[in-house]
Amino acid sequence: MRHDIHDLIGKTCMTPDEGQKVYNLTYPELLANRPVELDFAGVEIFASPFFNFAIGQLLRDIPPDTLNRLLKFSNLNSVGRQVLKRVIENSKQYYSNENTRKAVDEVVSEQANSL
Amino acid sequence: MSVTLNIPTVNDELKDFDTLFQLWQQVGESCSDVTFDFSKCFFLKPNAVAFLGGLIRFIQSREGKTTINKDTLNNKVKMNLQQNGFMYTFCEDKEPWQGNSVPYREDAKQNKDGLVYYLAEQWLGRDWVQMGQNLRNVIVGRVWEIYANAFEHGRTDIGVFSCGQHYPKLNQLKLTVVDFGVGIPSNVRQFQNKPTLPVDKALEWAFQAGTSTRQGGVAGGVGLDYLKKFVKINRGKLEFFSQDGYVAIDENQEIYQSRQPFFQGTLVNITLQCEEALYILASDADDEEPLF
Repeated sequence: MRHDIHDLIGKTCMTPDEGQKVYNLTYPELLANRPVELDFAGVEIFASPFFNFAIGQLLRDIPPDTLNRLLKFSNLNSVGRQVLKRVIENSKQYYSNENTRKAVDEVVSEQANSL
Repeated sequence: MSVTLNIPTVNDELKDFDTLFQLWQQVGESCSDVTFDFSKCFFLKPNAVAFLGGLIRFIQSREGKTTINKDTLNNKVKMNLQQNGFMYTFCEDKEPWQGNSVPYREDAKQNKDGLVYYLAEQWLGRDWVQMGQNLRNVIVGRVWEIYANAFEHGRTDIGVFSCGQHYPKLNQLKLTVVDFGVGIPSNVRQFQNKPTLPVDKALEWAFQAGTSTRQGGVAGGVGLDYLKKFVKINRGKLEFFSQDGYVAIDENQEIYQSRQPFFQGTLVNITLQCEEALYILASDADDEEPLF
């Protein structure tokens, strides 16, 4: 499935709400193992809140390998790509830390239950 | 109680920001009637315009009455405040006009299209900056991060206030953005559950890549770090004043320190050089590398 981001959002992709809109379209398709193309032709201005919500949170429960295989970006200008890369790098670390926290919480919880 | 605020000449050196924050302190929480007296004011820079506009709204939001004593305005100051729309917003029917001032702007809520227009056309889009469209887009995206942070983390009922200016002799652009909400240090302390965290440590944490006080399970904290790097490349300067903390970032240094006087909200002052050659955007050598 291909999504024209300019038609969906406009020429500026900046806000959390806009990002959430893209996420809501993309996430169920990826979960169903269907390829997704996000076409950014005509989009001129990018800011990190958009990518945090549109793309970053996909990493919460979809592995990077799966995202590399299924999710494609077309016509994303160099600045947009830079911001996206930073967001992805940051999100991978964020969710890795979250998984670590969850694992620790589970251990603590089990220990508490065994007392 | 009634208070007269005597507004002095305000430049944008550190002591001038102190002056602004002392005005906020004078207002306190209980002023019901505040008069702004400009008898001793001969010049106002955009940091003062943005701050005074926000201060008026802050007072009004607490059911206070505000009066600008127009008779005390020096002609030069008055003309500047008319040109940038401040007088039209608060006390005059005369509409602003285009000059070296960037308009005074109030955003009660996040208005993306309006803000993009303000930054791209009213601040950057004039003939005073020789700048291609691509570069303009980059700057808008980076500076937007300041507003995004203010709206998401500032927790302010009255919104965000801005004013800017071009300085042709210095070949510089300046923009000030201020909110009167919760400051950065309080947000960080609450998020980390460390009520005694020193202000300089709280600020330093806030500017690291990947750190954010955002709740709700979505990563954040990229924007300010990206802006920081951009300012360094530009040989510009980025200053944050929040509560009793101060941040200064330029190409040579990053300063995070405790500093008085206390101001509850957050004020951001950004200076950019108007030289396109300074905007060297790193090319992506790794375009073929997997993104995730």
